Amino acid sequence: MSLTTELWQVLVVCFSAIFTGNILLTTFLGMCPFLAVSRQVKASVGLGFAVVFVMTFTSLLNWLAYRYVLVPMELEFFRFILFIIIIATFVQFVEMVLERYSPVLYQNLGIFLPLITVNCAILGASLFMVIREYTLPVTVGYGFGSGVGWMLAIVAMAGIRQQMAVERVPKGLQGPGITLIIAGLMALGFIGFTGVLQGS
Amino acid sequence: MRDKAWYPVLYMFIATAFFSSILIGLARFSRDRVEANQRLSVEKAVLEALPIELPREASSLELHRIFLERVTGPSAASGNAYVLLEGDEVAAYAVPLEGKGYWDTIRGFIGIASDKNAVTGISFYEQNETPGLGAEIVQPPFRNQFVGKRIAEGDRPLGFRPAGSALEESEVHAITGATQTSTRVEKIINEDLAGWRSGLRSNGDSGS
Amino acid sequence: MSVVKEGLWDNNPIFRQVLGICSALAVTNLVLNTAVMCFALTWTTALSCLTVSLLREWTPHRIRMMVQTLIIAFYVILVDLALKAYWPEMSRNLGPYVGLIITNCIIMGRCEAFARSNPPGKSFLDGLFSGLGYSFVLLMVAVVRELLGMGTILGVPMPYFSTLWDKWIIMVMPPGAFFTLACLIWIFRSIRSGEEEKSV
Repeated sequence: MSLTTELWQVLVVCFSAIFTGNILLTTFLGMCPFLAVSRQVKASVGLGFAVVFVMTFTSLLNWLAYRYVLVPMELEFFRFILFIIIIATFVQFVEMVLERYSPVLYQNLGIFLPLITVNCAILGASLFMVIREYTLPVTVGYGFGSGVGWMLAIVAMAGIRQQMAVERVPKGLQGPGITLIIAGLMALGFIGFTGVLQGS
Repeated sequence: MRDKAWYPVLYMFIATAFFSSILIGLARFSRDRVEANQRLSVEKAVLEALPIELPREASSLELHRIFLERVTGPSAASGNAYVLLEGDEVAAYAVPLEGKGYWDTIRGFIGIASDKNAVTGISFYEQNETPGLGAEIVQPPFRNQFVGKRIAEGDRPLGFRPAGSALEESEVHAITGATQTSTRVEKIINEDLAGWRSGLRSNGDSGS
Repeated sequence: MSVVKEGLWDNNPIFRQVLGICSALAVTNLVLNTAVMCFALTWTTALSCLTVSLLREWTPHRIRMMVQTLIIAFYVILVDLALKAYWPEMSRNLGPYVGLIITNCIIMGRCEAFARSNPPGKSFLDGLFSGLGYSFVLLMVAVVRELLGMGTILGVPMPYFSTLWDKWIIMVMPPGAFFTLACLIWIFRSIRSGEEEKSV
């Protein structure tokens, strides 16, 4: 495949990971922290950045692990466990590095890292990458795009909820109920992006 | 013993070894079945695209037998399509279709008669489109409309038109409400048919 | 007996705590897929709780979460292998979501909260009924979505819905899941707060 077609494919996958195939609004992954943290924009932005970072690198690491360890040993089914181990180790490692070398960054992002280990979106992105048989460059684009998409969803949700804090919501809908409805409306909106980029 | 520093490590090691070996054993055991299932689904799709009379409630074993008897594998001479044989003569081709659907990869076959013009059928063995919308491509109403159509020259062998419009002999109806899937399937069919035709031509075939 | 009511109603994982919806919400557009998914989850929860409880005297405190993850992954992989071998079409339909059961907060939650400090019999029941409570909600979502969106239940056309009803396509797409779940939570919470008010 020529370089330009390859690059274009990465771009399309990245675009669709952010908008039309948004990992949260379309494939429903990463809902727990989404519902819990999306009350404030500041926290959401912090968590969002952390997710983008972790998702991009773990997708990459998991691709390498899958291709060079699991497949040759015919242990594909083991990917669930191996991916989780890689993700947990990576997050732990990043937390240690941050704490040591950048206290400022640690204060702002580091506290979110334990939350990320249980974020199903991270594992989900790697699993999708295996199912869709993405190549390495596409995987990186996909991981990055998924992270950005997740961040976009959670920040937008936080912005809306902050505005809504002064509105009257029926008792039964308060909290997760109204959040889900907002999410549904956002999902509806994102569907409008389909077909904007050829192949997205 | 439980207070020793090495106990957790030993425990983890034993636990992992225990559970993993069970899984590895089961994976090996089921591997053959998984591969057989995959091959069977491809063969079934090839047969469904070709103009063969299939027994109504055929078992997988029967289908496999029919496939082995009547169909030969892809070769350069057939442009990488499966070939249905009537004795020694080519009766029809099953051209492989593959491309990105709305959600995931779509894979299937489109059957073209020996005149390299008439469509004998279409089938999909891999798709993950939206149930009720894009996934309708595997249902008879969508697939049956392909039978008897003729593919056009040039780079648009088959055209998709909105449901309800009048159709030419190289056109079919798209699925209402599944515009994305329909567009992509149209693209896949056209690209793969064009590729097949040029594959035949470049193999010294006189074409029609 | 209280364990049963707890799992199914009072502490229903989804209604009460809105936990672990990620993995299953995506497949709720078809009742059949949802049923298989829920079976996989209930199986995993019940058996994982049982195993964690059986091993509770032996498992060192510090690595208990890793051991729990290992056990949960074991049962999930069993289901995944079985599906791939005996029902490949369903395995493809469910995609990565079966694997994502491993990260489902409900299972880990039950293991942590109950199984590791309770006898095997009770732990098994606790896991079983939490799983069933979760399944009960998801099946309701699925029935609503498949009925209103496609006019069928389990693929069988329903009298009014498959003929005269103008199918709500939105139910078949992601936003439909968000809206349906939000409404169910609303209904449930309204009933619950009504009950609580009456008992006060």
